[in-house]
Amino acid sequence: MTRMKKRWLGVGSLVITALAMPLLAHHGAAAFDVTKMVTVKGTVTDFQYVNPHVQVYFDAKNDKGEPEAWQGELTAPNKLSRAGWSKRTLKPGDMITVTGNPAQNGAHTLWIRKLIGPDGESLQLFED
Amino acid sequence: MARSFIPCVLPAALAFAGVLGAQTAPPAAPSKPAPKHDLTGVWMARNPPAIRAFAGATFTKEEPEMTPWALAKYKEAKSSNGGQYTLDTTNDPVVTKCDPPGVPRVYFHPYPFEFVSTPTYMLMLYEYDHMVRRIYTDGRPIPEDPDLTWMGSSVGHWDGDTTFVVDTVGFNDKTWLDRLGHPHSTQLHVTERFRRIDMDHMQLDFILQDPKALVKPWTATFYYELRPKWELGEISCSGDYLDFKKFEK
Repeated sequence: MTRMKKRWLGVGSLVITALAMPLLAHHGAAAFDVTKMVTVKGTVTDFQYVNPHVQVYFDAKNDKGEPEAWQGELTAPNKLSRAGWSKRTLKPGDMITVTGNPAQNGAHTLWIRKLIGPDGESLQLFED
Repeated sequence: MARSFIPCVLPAALAFAGVLGAQTAPPAAPSKPAPKHDLTGVWMARNPPAIRAFAGATFTKEEPEMTPWALAKYKEAKSSNGGQYTLDTTNDPVVTKCDPPGVPRVYFHPYPFEFVSTPTYMLMLYEYDHMVRRIYTDGRPIPEDPDLTWMGSSVGHWDGDTTFVVDTVGFNDKTWLDRLGHPHSTQLHVTERFRRIDMDHMQLDFILQDPKALVKPWTATFYYELRPKWELGEISCSGDYLDFKKFEK
């Protein structure tokens, strides 16, 4: 765990408990540590616009400069479509900055809460 | 790792995050008057802050008055409410088996539904897993001994200009009433009163009756908003593609 904490710090972590707590009302996010937020910058390797959850795969570098493969999870494609997304919104090679809740077990997986797209704009993640 | 992700319910969390901003927003201004005998369109839950703490999972803050039969079944239920559960720790059949949610459990998915009106029946299309209900409005009575189904057999009628009343019976007993696992029997009778308050707002009163499970009717009210620009998409419960193995240590 200590090792993980260092890892998160390495990729720029910030703890935002207050933001996360109201989200616990009715879901199964046990896989994620909703008390933590980490930010990872990387290059998109794959973008799966699929049910039930849209998946973003990207390569980043850790604090030692070593490559790491990451995966981020968004909401359902129907909801993202209503927020202006499509299957073309991200493509391999795009530079993105992803902020989200890390996996409880230390996997390189994020529940994405914020995503800055290739044009530097923060993309809307939720329908109105 | 992969098994601890919840394919069907994580969108709920994200949807909930989506309405966070609205929790502090002032109440929506009244819109134009409700049209007569018309619920056509896409509707999305928008409950007041006072009930949001539980309305994603159940009907009321207080427990319903259950029969001993129902209490025993309820003790076996492992809720899919709250954040800290995995597929191993809940036995919600919607989550663990992708069972159809039934009515009223279908309202505990954070997705919109649409009314489509025809001369002899109303269609209710729920975005979640393409659930459909056909609510007959041709004057037929509530069926007395229908075959048992997941979504039940429904008849509907207008009570005044803006309230559509739906009675549904003939449910199998495989579904829960909510995410907490409150049980019902095949004697469940669901009454929904869809009252269009104005053009953009609807109040849905539930009356759940089940002599085998509930000592007295369980009643609740949820609220919905019209979403004129939305189109229903596809959200499927099945999703076995999640493979996180290569990201694990």
